[in-house]
Amino acid sequence: MNDSRHIASAFDRDLDSIHAKILKMGGLVEASIVDSSKALESRDQELAEKVRRGDAAIDALDEQINDEVANLIALRAPTAVDLRTVLAIMRMTSNLERIGDLSKNLAKRSDVLGQLTQISGATGSIRRMTREVEAMLKDALDAFIQRDPDFARDVIERDREVDEMYNTLFREFLTFMLEDPRNITACMHLHFIAKNVERMGDHVTAIAEQVLFYVTGETPEGSRPKADVTSSDMKYNPEAEPD
Amino acid sequence: MYDAPKSLETTLDQKTAKITARDVQVHYGDNHAIKDVNVNIEANTVTAFIGPSGCGKSTFLRCINRMNDTIDICRVQGKILLDGEDINDKRVDPVQLRAKVGMVFQKPNPFPKSIYDNIAYGPRIHGLAKNKADLDEIVEKSLRRGAIWEEVKDRLHASGTGLSGGQQQRLCIARAIATEPEVLLMDEPCSALDPIATAQVEELIDELRQQYSVVIVTHSMQQAARVSQRTAFFHLGNLVEFGDTVKIFTNPEDSRTESYITGRIG
Ligand SMILES: Nc1ncnc2c1ncn2[C@@H]1O[C@H](COP(=O)(O)OP(=O)(O)O)[C@@H](O)[C@H]1O
Ligand SMILES: [Mg+2]
Repeated sequence: MNDSRHIASAFDRDLDSIHAKILKMGGLVEASIVDSSKALESRDQELAEKVRRGDAAIDALDEQINDEVANLIALRAPTAVDLRTVLAIMRMTSNLERIGDLSKNLAKRSDVLGQLTQISGATGSIRRMTREVEAMLKDALDAFIQRDPDFARDVIERDREVDEMYNTLFREFLTFMLEDPRNITACMHLHFIAKNVERMGDHVTAIAEQVLFYVTGETPEGSRPKADVTSSDMKYNPEAEPD
Repeated sequence: MYDAPKSLETTLDQKTAKITARDVQVHYGDNHAIKDVNVNIEANTVTAFIGPSGCGKSTFLRCINRMNDTIDICRVQGKILLDGEDINDKRVDPVQLRAKVGMVFQKPNPFPKSIYDNIAYGPRIHGLAKNKADLDEIVEKSLRRGAIWEEVKDRLHASGTGLSGGQQQRLCIARAIATEPEVLLMDEPCSALDPIATAQVEELIDELRQQYSVVIVTHSMQQAARVSQRTAFFHLGNLVEFGDTVKIFTNPEDSRTESYITGRIG
């Protein structure tokens, strides 16, 4: 990979600006996941509100990055590593923006959950799952900074574990609901939360794939590991849940 | 399917290559301008030569139709094959060769003659027309293929030098086409043209690919990306990288190629 500067220094300034913004956005999204899962666990309404408000900053960065990328493509016609950088960042920013939305959705549910009976063990499992997704995001962004393809591949692999955690939770919720219909409302909410975290994992995986493309110029061959089996088990499609 | 024996595969390879350069070296006196270049240029393909000024693009281009013969201090070694035949063989007449391998230059250089005579000149000296009607037909066909017929059909006997720069360049392309070449060499053909004329010449190049192999030297990365299917990057007389244009412009192998096309300080 090429570390030398462009002859046109304005080109470097434009690229540096986009770089700085995507890293800032990544940091905000990481913080949002941490906060929303904390809010969920401790039923902290104030923290939840902070997450909801914070999403606007993430959306604004997404917009700014898209504008700057469009300008850079129009004015500087980037090629090779420059082209891969802006393409990767453009896709990464939309994945980050989606993760931000999902995190906001988690925070929203903490209010409702505060009024519901506790389902034993579920919040602990969701916490572990969320932590794993947050760690994956941090590693994907580090892989981007360090241009480390192995690190990125490792993140992609780890999404399997998140999928498996989700599958386990899904079965648990089903059991609870069958045992006592009074659990249904709480379990449905918890399920949406788990599903949202699982989808965050998918977006993090997509980010790691973009890092691979940016560094190596290749898109990972074959489909990514997909261990979420619930949609094939069941007629109901949890993907259809609105945010 | 069966596995072709290795020797057969290489024969097939050479068959699809219109031009093959083997260990080509060029010296101008002590100046080693082209160093050990090996390359296959395919039929019906636009191949772009890119690289910093003085890296040897024009020199290598001139090897393909023996234009370097005309430069006293220039010494060319190695082999250049056109359809498998050595173009430097003693039996090859360079004038015949240049009819088969046409050339278009940076500055449009129409002869100070009529548009008609600019085109008719080559076919006349190569005896390609039996009579006036034949020649008229060649002139019209060439001007049409040069995408300039509509603009000049009513003033064929006006001087070629009275045309606009872009028209002159298309006239020169039509002139090069008139001798029914198989390969068209173009050395920065658009560097003196405005964006509209450039777009017209680029469109023409894309059409010419149906019939000819086109090799174009260009300083515009965007032009190379737009018109070519294969790109060769030259640096200090070496052919550093040669491959699919898309690959070169998205993910080049060599860091020198990358520095050059992304506009970095090597
Ligand atoms: N007619 C010539 N006489 C002597 N040296 C030449 C001549 N043409 C080119 N050269 C030298 O050969 C090298 C390659 O030049 P050239 O092929 O024109 O490069 P490019 O087309 O890539 O700019 C340069 O060092 C140049 O000075
Ligand atoms: Mg030149």
